[in-house]
Amino acid sequence: MYNRVVPLALIPLVMSASGVVANELNPDVSVTLDGYYKQNDTALSHREEGFGLGHTELSLSSPIDDLFSGRLTAVFGEHDGESEVLIEEAYLQTNGLPASLSIRAGRFLSQVGYLNSRHMHEDDFVERPAAYRAMLGSHYYDTGLRFNALLPTPFFWQVGAEAFAGDQLTEGDEDIGVFTLNTRVGGDISVSQSWQLGVSYLNNGHADSADTGDGSHDYVSEEEHDHDHSHGAGYTGENLYIADLVWKWSPNGNTREQQLTLSGEYLYADELNQYAASDDTNEGWYLSGVYQFAPQWSAGVRYGEVDLREAHGDHFHSQALEETDVMLSWSRSHFSTVRLQYTHQSATGFDKADNAVMVQYVMSLGAHGAHGY
Amino acid sequence: MGTDMGFRKGFAALLLLLAALPAKAQFRVFACEPEWAALVRELVPEADVTTATTYLQDPHYIEARPSLIAAVRRADIAVCTGASLEAGWLPMLLQRASNPAIQPGRPGLFFAADHARLHAPHDHVDRSMGDVHPEGNPHVHLAPDELPEIAGALAKRLTELEPEAAAAILGRYIRWRGDWNRLRAQWQESGEALEGQSVVVQHSSFSYLLRWLGVETAVDLEPKPGMPPSASHLSRLLTEPLLKEAAAILIASHQDRQPAEWLAERTGLPVIVVPGTVTGKAPADSLGGLITTIVSRLETTVSGASDGVL
Repeated sequence: MYNRVVPLALIPLVMSASGVVANELNPDVSVTLDGYYKQNDTALSHREEGFGLGHTELSLSSPIDDLFSGRLTAVFGEHDGESEVLIEEAYLQTNGLPASLSIRAGRFLSQVGYLNSRHMHEDDFVERPAAYRAMLGSHYYDTGLRFNALLPTPFFWQVGAEAFAGDQLTEGDEDIGVFTLNTRVGGDISVSQSWQLGVSYLNNGHADSADTGDGSHDYVSEEEHDHDHSHGAGYTGENLYIADLVWKWSPNGNTREQQLTLSGEYLYADELNQYAASDDTNEGWYLSGVYQFAPQWSAGVRYGEVDLREAHGDHFHSQALEETDVMLSWSRSHFSTVRLQYTHQSATGFDKADNAVMVQYVMSLGAHGAHGY
Repeated sequence: MGTDMGFRKGFAALLLLLAALPAKAQFRVFACEPEWAALVRELVPEADVTTATTYLQDPHYIEARPSLIAAVRRADIAVCTGASLEAGWLPMLLQRASNPAIQPGRPGLFFAADHARLHAPHDHVDRSMGDVHPEGNPHVHLAPDELPEIAGALAKRLTELEPEAAAAILGRYIRWRGDWNRLRAQWQESGEALEGQSVVVQHSSFSYLLRWLGVETAVDLEPKPGMPPSASHLSRLLTEPLLKEAAAILIASHQDRQPAEWLAERTGLPVIVVPGTVTGKAPADSLGGLITTIVSRLETTVSGASDGVL
């Protein structure tokens, strides 16, 4: 990570250091290669069995001037043998507005929950928890506007609001289909321990007009959900509430040698669509523990559940999934990771629930931005 | 949503006002590493300094934790090493803290490496070389000849931000500079016994000081810069002819001791573990004290070891 080319920090350094690099006017380019082998299909998964490419991204980022910086991220994927390019991020971000305000505009990852605003290549497991896959389409990104502010408290306290077109979550007619509110607090318990707590609310104005299927009972499986809204969430509701908690520990705070990360989230959605009764709700949670026991090695275990209502015309069918993941990963350097994972699923109402062994690599080429907490 | 935003803005403004009243009195500093916190304290003893890392932490691998974001938000100046040392976390802190004073190109962000001549800059780097900084070795706080330049630039920057304290800051800088010159003469004297010796290192953490003392680097426990020592690399080192010349193995407190101890067992070399930076405990609680500590540990061990060999 010593020579990561990071837009904000490096530009002044490059200019001041003599005779170093000549590309200070070019944006930083980064590519993430993500490939895997999966033993067999699993429920609610965005990764098919066999060899496959996961989240392959190309990203350009740079300061624009002293006030703005920008980023473009394109994701390359394949669905049923057809290639597609998706714009996952195309945003401008302000740097240092007064009163610790910051604004982001364009297309970007929503900051609801803990995992959602992180890039997928930073994840510790091959796929996001089942609750994320079902209720946020693994990661919810959309086109809109974000306001964030840090409150002038001695500890970390951030409040934020976002407004989005909403069509990436559920297709609909509203101009502003989705808005979110989010707040986070956090701090250090000691030099070895730190924590962060977040609470988020997402309002989906398109939930009422969500496609509820044809109501026939012959064949409406998760397969169809995946392919109809291949990147949206299969299970949405007008109101989505998320609570998240993260705790990290490393001896003397030296994360290079060892680090234990415990994280968990709870997601709850109601008012699922126009036919929903008050007891039709989607719910999910997970708990994850990842122990980096040596600079290059991590082991982790994650357990999660979802309790879902699948729309069938004017009524719902219940679905439930319990999932346990165990993983071991090795990183030769900060830029390469190879991961072995075993996933165990037990389900009600899913055809494809199964156990699977997966091998994945995540490789980062070029510039490598700084990570969040 | 509109009313909600309005409420939040009003609320934020109110809190800002309340917090700003007592906050104005004290000059707040965010130091990325303890060496810069120590230097700031020499120049502005009354400053409220938050240090992001300790001598037991590897400064390349720090997380952009909530507490650090909050500290950058409150600070009047951030004093960091630069040269991409903090590339993995500082940009995230700056963006999340969104402090208008502390942004690239503004006076509130001070990079020590901008005011020093760095060793080993590279015109071309790629990652097969390991974690090599194109700007040069960033561990510049142990360079006896560069520190006065850095301290001078820092003093100048602090006077710009705190004009009413300018005379006091410059006075303390001149005193510091005198102390430093005296210490440097002592190190030079102690260093005479060390000249021409060589040591085994792990990473380039001490290379400015070693070069200044005329101590050679025999071999590096890291197979590539920034990569942890591997079993195969360590076995290969055993056959390295330069290893026979080495007088000691020098590592920093935040590094894993096992590789150094493994090599020590097989070669009989003494292992010297010294803090890589200021610790907060005397005598290594200032940069001068730190260098004195390292030099005297080297001197005791290395001259002892070479006497034995001779």
